[in-house]
Amino acid sequence: MPRTKYKFNPDSLSFDRVRLGVKAILLRFLAYFIGTIIVAVIYWVIFATFFDSPKEKALEREVAQLTIQYDLIHREMVNVENVLEDLQKTDDNLYRTIFEAEPIPATLREGGVGGVNRYEVLEGYNNSNLVIETAGRLDKIRKKIYVQSKSFDDLIELAMKKEEMLRAVPAILPISNKDLTRTASGFGLRIHPIYKIIKFHSGMDFTAPAGTDVYSTGNGVIVSIQSSKRGLGNHIIIDHGFRYTSVYAHLSNFNVRVGQKVQRGDVIGFVGNTGTSVANHLHYEIKLNGTNVDPVNYYFEDLTAAEYVRMIEIASKTGQSFD
Amino acid sequence: MRNRKYVLDLADVQYKLVILHWKVKLLRLILWFSVSVLMAVFYGTVFENLFGSPKKRMLSQQVENLKLQYSLIGRQLDNSMVCLNSFRLSDDIRYRPVLDMDAIPESYRHAGFGGVDRFRDLRGYVNSDLLISFRSKIEEIKNLANVQDESFKTITERSAEWKREMDHQPMISPVSVEFRLGDGYRFREIHPVYGTPRMHYGQDFSVPYGTDIYATGDGKVIESGWNSNGFGNYIVIDHGYGLHSTYGHLSDIKVVKGMNVKRGDLIALSGSTGTSSGPHLHYQINQFGEHKNPINFFNNDMSVEEYNEMIQALGSISKFR
Repeated sequence: MPRTKYKFNPDSLSFDRVRLGVKAILLRFLAYFIGTIIVAVIYWVIFATFFDSPKEKALEREVAQLTIQYDLIHREMVNVENVLEDLQKTDDNLYRTIFEAEPIPATLREGGVGGVNRYEVLEGYNNSNLVIETAGRLDKIRKKIYVQSKSFDDLIELAMKKEEMLRAVPAILPISNKDLTRTASGFGLRIHPIYKIIKFHSGMDFTAPAGTDVYSTGNGVIVSIQSSKRGLGNHIIIDHGFRYTSVYAHLSNFNVRVGQKVQRGDVIGFVGNTGTSVANHLHYEIKLNGTNVDPVNYYFEDLTAAEYVRMIEIASKTGQSFD
Repeated sequence: MRNRKYVLDLADVQYKLVILHWKVKLLRLILWFSVSVLMAVFYGTVFENLFGSPKKRMLSQQVENLKLQYSLIGRQLDNSMVCLNSFRLSDDIRYRPVLDMDAIPESYRHAGFGGVDRFRDLRGYVNSDLLISFRSKIEEIKNLANVQDESFKTITERSAEWKREMDHQPMISPVSVEFRLGDGYRFREIHPVYGTPRMHYGQDFSVPYGTDIYATGDGKVIESGWNSNGFGNYIVIDHGYGLHSTYGHLSDIKVVKGMNVKRGDLIALSGSTGTSSGPHLHYQINQFGEHKNPINFFNNDMSVEEYNEMIQALGSISKFR
């Protein structure tokens, strides 16, 4: 208020100057402030009821689009799931047709193999049974000076050659086998693909495209390369020494010569379909003392304990061999 | 009365009542109103920026809820991808190599992406990234699923063909393995009957008169009866794929021309008819007219029991085919 104001005082019958104390001024401001807030609230309520702020408009737009897209995606998802179900059925049928066995759920779909604890006993399992056996036997011999059918000298030589032996004995997969998907029929009784009877399958089959590299699974010497249209087809025999030989059959081509020395991992030939074979695959055998043994126990350099168990599972399911 | 104010008019030296003109009062009111509106806007803006209006908060909550739903469906999408990957693995590594089929190129599986900005309508939102990523994910999955579906169909067709070919190719011995092999596919200096040098295009099996002869693969009988070129009573089966198998010097023929046979079917009894020096089966394989060595079309890998078991097994299977 620009001009000084007076108030009539009825008691003193005079005009008193209106002095506004600080308190009074403050009170007025407060009253004014609160007043405006109340009004502000009222305005805002009215405004908000009838209008949306730009931010709200944007949010509404956001919600609308998110909802539309979500419904769209959800509908598509349902369609996709139907397609996936059909694909699953087809996959299973193809598996049954080609392998004559019930399909095993892939680790991917199962979300990992079971607990690790089951395989504790296989952990730290670095050496083959034979090496442990031989080492044990050698200890016995040294302590008891027990002469067996094989000469004593022979066995001492074996002990000294242990390093060499570890490199020579088959210990890896003969072809690359990521996630074990190429593992087909295993060792033992299998349905013969042509004869339709249960027959003894002397090795392991790995499916692979024609021309896939085949590796020597241990150091050794190529002792036989044969081309043939029947039986094992084109096949290689490697002598690893230590009474082990390995056979690689149905090859399309060779990469070595007879007499050649090979190291574990060398490419010796390529997958094919020669001989009595119904599809491109590698037939792999291991012989100990001339007798066929189950190759599944001879991949310890390549497989983890869990993979080993899984491979046994895949290979042992009664199914059709490819030769 | 208490609120009446007075002003000292120095000119008149009198206290005069302050009476406000109605215009002034109106002006004051308008002023107060405008200021309060301004204050309201000020407070409102400050408040909204600090707390947000209830409507805004509700909408924001809706957005959060939707984002949650998206993350849930996101997990389903990831699962689908995992499934598709495992089908793709089976496709590339298990099935195609066995069936001698080339793998589908990676570029074909992912065809149809990129190019014009297909997500234009999803731009300009706070959550545009989310919308676009989900949209493109579901489109990718749809596309991959379609490609896989197509691929599996092709593979299924081919696998049926593969089985058919396997069933049709001559792959077993036409007689039980208890019998010995006779003369083979070779040039004979002295023919056992003619005495002259002649190429022997077949594999002989030394079987006694009246031995069971079996079809070595599925096929159709195209010749059956007397052959005037020395085969005597003979049968020719067309297996398809250019392959023909011939069975000569038979005594008793059990099939007729035009008949369809399956591997393991009894087609004849052996004999010594035609140009034959003794009871035996003459077995021949021709592919696209060319003579082939029959020894490459069967193995010596089973016992007599297994052979008999096989004939039984083949016979029981053929009933279902």
